[in-house]
Amino acid sequence: MNPPLLQARGLQKTFRLRSGPLARSVDHVAVDAIDLDLAPRERIGIVGESGSGKSTLGRLLLGLTPPSAGEVRFDGVAHADRRPGDWKAFRRQTSLVQQNPLSALNPQMTIGQQVAEAVWVHRLADRHGARDQAAAMLEKVGLSAELMDRFPHQMSGGQRQRVVIARALVLSPRLVVFDEAVSALDVSVQAQVVAILRSLWQQLDLAYVFITHDLRIVRHLVDRIAVLYLGRVVETGDIRSVYARPRHPYTRALLSSVPSLDPRVRNVAPPVQGDLDPGKAARGCAFRSRCPLAIERCASETPRLRRIDQGHVACHRAEDVRPLPMATAEVA
Amino acid sequence: MSHLLAVRGLVVQAPARGLKIIDGIDLSLDRGETLGLVGESGCGKSMTCYAIAGALPRGIARTGGSITLQDDADGGTGSPAKPSVAMIFQDPTSSLNPVHTIGHYLESALYRHQGLRGNDARLEAMRLLERVGIDRAKSRLRAYPHQFSGGMNQRVMIAHALAAKPRLLIADEPTTALDVTTQAQILYLLEELRAETGMALLIVSHDLGVIARLADRAAVMYCGKIVETAPIGALLERPAHPYARALIDCMPTIDPDDLEPPTPIAGSVPLLDNLPAGCHFHPRCDRGGRDCVSAYPAPARIGPGHAASCYHPVRP
Repeated sequence: MNPPLLQARGLQKTFRLRSGPLARSVDHVAVDAIDLDLAPRERIGIVGESGSGKSTLGRLLLGLTPPSAGEVRFDGVAHADRRPGDWKAFRRQTSLVQQNPLSALNPQMTIGQQVAEAVWVHRLADRHGARDQAAAMLEKVGLSAELMDRFPHQMSGGQRQRVVIARALVLSPRLVVFDEAVSALDVSVQAQVVAILRSLWQQLDLAYVFITHDLRIVRHLVDRIAVLYLGRVVETGDIRSVYARPRHPYTRALLSSVPSLDPRVRNVAPPVQGDLDPGKAARGCAFRSRCPLAIERCASETPRLRRIDQGHVACHRAEDVRPLPMATAEVA
Repeated sequence: MSHLLAVRGLVVQAPARGLKIIDGIDLSLDRGETLGLVGESGCGKSMTCYAIAGALPRGIARTGGSITLQDDADGGTGSPAKPSVAMIFQDPTSSLNPVHTIGHYLESALYRHQGLRGNDARLEAMRLLERVGIDRAKSRLRAYPHQFSGGMNQRVMIAHALAAKPRLLIADEPTTALDVTTQAQILYLLEELRAETGMALLIVSHDLGVIARLADRAAVMYCGKIVETAPIGALLERPAHPYARALIDCMPTIDPDDLEPPTPIAGSVPLLDNLPAGCHFHPRCDRGGRDCVSAYPAPARIGPGHAASCYHPVRP
């Protein structure tokens, strides 16, 4: 097997929160004991509700925030061992695409300048060469070179997100982290961006970490998926087998919450109630307060990831999780 | 019996620039019915809602057509009162005033709409919060919007809308900013409340999945016009307008056997000051003929309650 491009071991991030100047501080564990391996050209999806720690995980992987415990290695080198000069080389090989393209772009710079900027910052070409590289990259994301002199406000949301993607890829990175990169877009534009990301992956030597709450989109972009709940991986496996047969009650709930295009499936009771509840005690399964299958053991013993079929699941009752019904069987 | 809501030839313009944001649309909604309005951003869905709610932004005005709201269902009390309309929005947290408590927000609405004050208002506010699924309502009345999650704030918005005892609730992308689990909860709540109160629901979304879950009928909007209207089942199974079909084809699914990625719609929504002549969709359409450029197609009947404005409708 290839050596992993990216490797995380026992990754943890704790934020200290204080509700007021005199209040006692509380430790909030955003990311808890996460192990992750990503081979070159592999694509993984990280899914979960808001507050599940998926964005923090993305930032930890890119070394944008230091972990409280554990380590991340890229190409065998730990972030903690990197010196300032090494970071610059690391940044050239990695990239982050965030949700809101309008706030990610500089309103005072043209599209061409923004895409070219990274090239000459890293002294990979002179300004003229950088502009040519930017034009070539914009072409790859389906934007013609005529748009190079436009400003972000003169473009549509979908075009802006493509500019952000072009900017992220212009240095030919080996790893790109997408943090809700398509969530704010219209479905028609989402489909365009999905097509572009699929074709870029085929052309370039790229690994993707795709962070999202949208289970419909991520399926077409990744090979493997990790489901996060309150900072922990509760299920991970090959995308097709997880979707065909979710083994964690939370994964099942996420999948059955997705509205189907079958008009006969109506008035379906929501599969889970409530929101994420970070106040839960450290012991036991964090999902148990919302879980339809919870038993006493779920409160006393924290489930660990264990192998079932092809994937890994952290649930005591994984064997009892029913398969997802076909849409037609769900009709009341 | 007349419709609860009848919109005829509605035109909404930004007079300063002369642009037609909504160009002569017809809509009707019966009591207790749910109508879905679907289309890409910039098609005029939200403006249609604002026009119906009588809340168009400054600088934008209704310049033609009529909007009639009429409820003669509560007969016996003499002349029918104008039915009340309430609206909820996409981003609940920014729709709420951060310096007021949830209790203040709900109680002031109850005073305005029902004349309740003091303890009566507080009790009714608690009852509304419980109805929309917020537990520990008594202490939650003293909370501020920032202490709530997005889903809880949307529940507060719905409670606020209910204070007006609406006969028509307009929900403009009510779950777009929410997690998929919360979305399922909010959609279920809206359907429960509709069944319970008999109000009509106008739900707007770019996500056909949301529309499919709630709507009885749907109208597809493109460039300020309604291009197709149909019972929801007919629309999803036998779309006639190429734009409606394209919207369905670009929807991703979670079906593990459906391996094909969603098909994007070529191009993008044209700007209002640069609308193509004839059918506005023809530059993005794969079925266009020469007639598509000449004049805008009139709506033609496809089936019962099903009409589309297209010279070359898709045949099943």
